[in-house]
Amino acid sequence: MSALNFLFDGFLVAFQWHNILFAFVGVLIGTAVGVLPGIGPMSGVALLIPVTATLTGGLPPESAAASSIILLAGVYYGAMYGGSTTSILLNTPGESSSVVTTLDGYQMAQQGRAGAALSIAAIGSFVAGIISLIGLVLLAKPLSNVALEFGPAEYFSLMLLGLAAVSGLAGKSMTKALMMTVFGLMLGTIGIDAVSGIARFTYDLPILYSGLEFLTIAVGLFALGEVFKTILEREHEDGAIAKISRILPTRQDMKDSTAPILRGSFLGFFIGVLPGAGATLASFFSYIAEKKFSKFPEKFGTGAIAGVAGPESANNAASGGAMIPLLTLGIPGSGTTAILMGALIMYNVQPGPLLFNDHPEVAWGLIASMFIGNLMLLVLNMPLVKVFAKIIQTPKRYLLPIIVAISFFGVYAVQYTTFDLYLLLACGVLGYLLTRNDFPVAPLVLALVLGPMIENNMRRALTISNGDFSIFVTKPLSLALLLIAAAWLLVPLLLKFKGRAIVVNEED
Amino acid sequence: MSKTFDRFAGIAFLLIGLLFVIESQRISESSYGSAVGPDIFPIGLGSLLILLSARLVYETMRYDVSGEKGESINYRKFIIIFVSAVVYAALLEPLGYVITTFAFLLVAFQTMERGKWLQSIVVATLFSVGVYYLFATFLGGSLPGFPVF
Repeated sequence: MSALNFLFDGFLVAFQWHNILFAFVGVLIGTAVGVLPGIGPMSGVALLIPVTATLTGGLPPESAAASSIILLAGVYYGAMYGGSTTSILLNTPGESSSVVTTLDGYQMAQQGRAGAALSIAAIGSFVAGIISLIGLVLLAKPLSNVALEFGPAEYFSLMLLGLAAVSGLAGKSMTKALMMTVFGLMLGTIGIDAVSGIARFTYDLPILYSGLEFLTIAVGLFALGEVFKTILEREHEDGAIAKISRILPTRQDMKDSTAPILRGSFLGFFIGVLPGAGATLASFFSYIAEKKFSKFPEKFGTGAIAGVAGPESANNAASGGAMIPLLTLGIPGSGTTAILMGALIMYNVQPGPLLFNDHPEVAWGLIASMFIGNLMLLVLNMPLVKVFAKIIQTPKRYLLPIIVAISFFGVYAVQYTTFDLYLLLACGVLGYLLTRNDFPVAPLVLALVLGPMIENNMRRALTISNGDFSIFVTKPLSLALLLIAAAWLLVPLLLKFKGRAIVVNEED
Repeated sequence: MSKTFDRFAGIAFLLIGLLFVIESQRISESSYGSAVGPDIFPIGLGSLLILLSARLVYETMRYDVSGEKGESINYRKFIIIFVSAVVYAALLEPLGYVITTFAFLLVAFQTMERGKWLQSIVVATLFSVGVYYLFATFLGGSLPGFPVF
């Protein structure tokens, strides 16, 4: 089987000592990012892109890309795990996908079972990580083979689907989400047009010729936006942290959580594969499912271990599942995967069907490293749970200014221009104002990443058809993709008109 | 959710969309006359944004105003930190990384919470000097080090 051979080669990459180190640093920082209040996986990954860019500076381009994406992905799934720690100990989710964990996790902590809740979350995350990786290995090659048949028209429609999926589910108002998407696409047109070589919206400012830097915008909107929010809206004082006594779960705990972990993993994986439906939705659905399956649904909300095991497995599985559309189709399904995609593009590595042929070292190295990283998370977190719980107590007075300083360093070290620092600050303010008023910023960043590709594919398709726009609907595959995209936007609207409650996907 | 903000944002984005469409016309003049020039995409986007913004402004007419909450917002801290960040950006190149970072952190730490000077100075020094040496010396990156007199 060829996938296994490729995977074996991937392990050769992942087992290089520096890549083991990168995976280790990634999951370690990721866990810290998940635990720290005020930085989520998106801002964590965005902040670390420039740092990894300098760390890998000495390596040949291909290995540099592989090593940095290994680290950044580690931050991503590490943060998914770390978010549970604060949910359980503080009743404050570290990131949005851990919201449901607070329901039963905090209750367990109140009853003195914090250790069991934390370790079940770790075990569940591990199992989910491995299951979703197996899915990734099995699906990666076939999916990218299908995508190889795509022409520019199909690609254009596929990317529209990706955008529709992310904006259709994000935030409270679809109008606002769509506005952010279109605005992101517009920002992407600034700079020299790749096809005709004509400068657009640059007003003879040389600094704009290369376009607005994705990294600056992402760090500004996410990391600085969150910092500004915390400074401006003095968040409620942190409560007391629950004590951790016994770390290992009891035999009964294990028995009670095995089925929820397995169900959560599969559910989370399939939700993660869908673009737009992220980890938050996965953990939410898993919680509902567990309540349905349980013989004692009334116990949920009072410290049922299944209410921790299921959702925590689901959110990790979803982050694994979200790697599939990213790697095979080049469509990031969530805010964090959009940032990972931007990082890959910075290294001249184009995610998508050609990734597995052109850069097998990157693709399979990443997949293999995720096996190692998940194992590290388990080994690290069981004994170190108490240490990570300490991170929660980092005083905000030091944390917030240091995040500003890190984002300055990160942007300047990659761009070397003061212009980007001003842009960064402006994006920080914009990010705060927009998110505060329910304008979701993840679609904006996603659109900024996909924009140039959407435009190029649209124009290539139109060149083939001599300017006839019907090419997008006469090709069956392209038509199908467009129809799904339209359905993605219209179905929630129709449901809303009928008065049905809609699950809103928070950014993750 | 704020009605005033939404209305203001709706109008602002509407103007941005309008500007985009108008400015895109200038691109088309310089294009080489192909059917799908570099102006089509921005024009389409600009028009879409105009439509969406108009829709948002229309939606703001129908909001319930009851949901608006008056939170206490800490402007003073934010403005001090934001202004020092702008100064930090402006002085980074002339004064170098270590000095500006140290100064910014110290100001920001003290703004967040007064007192504990010794601790603030130690953390600011460790961060600015640490990052600089780790990055510039150990990793071989380039950062403006110290001012050249």
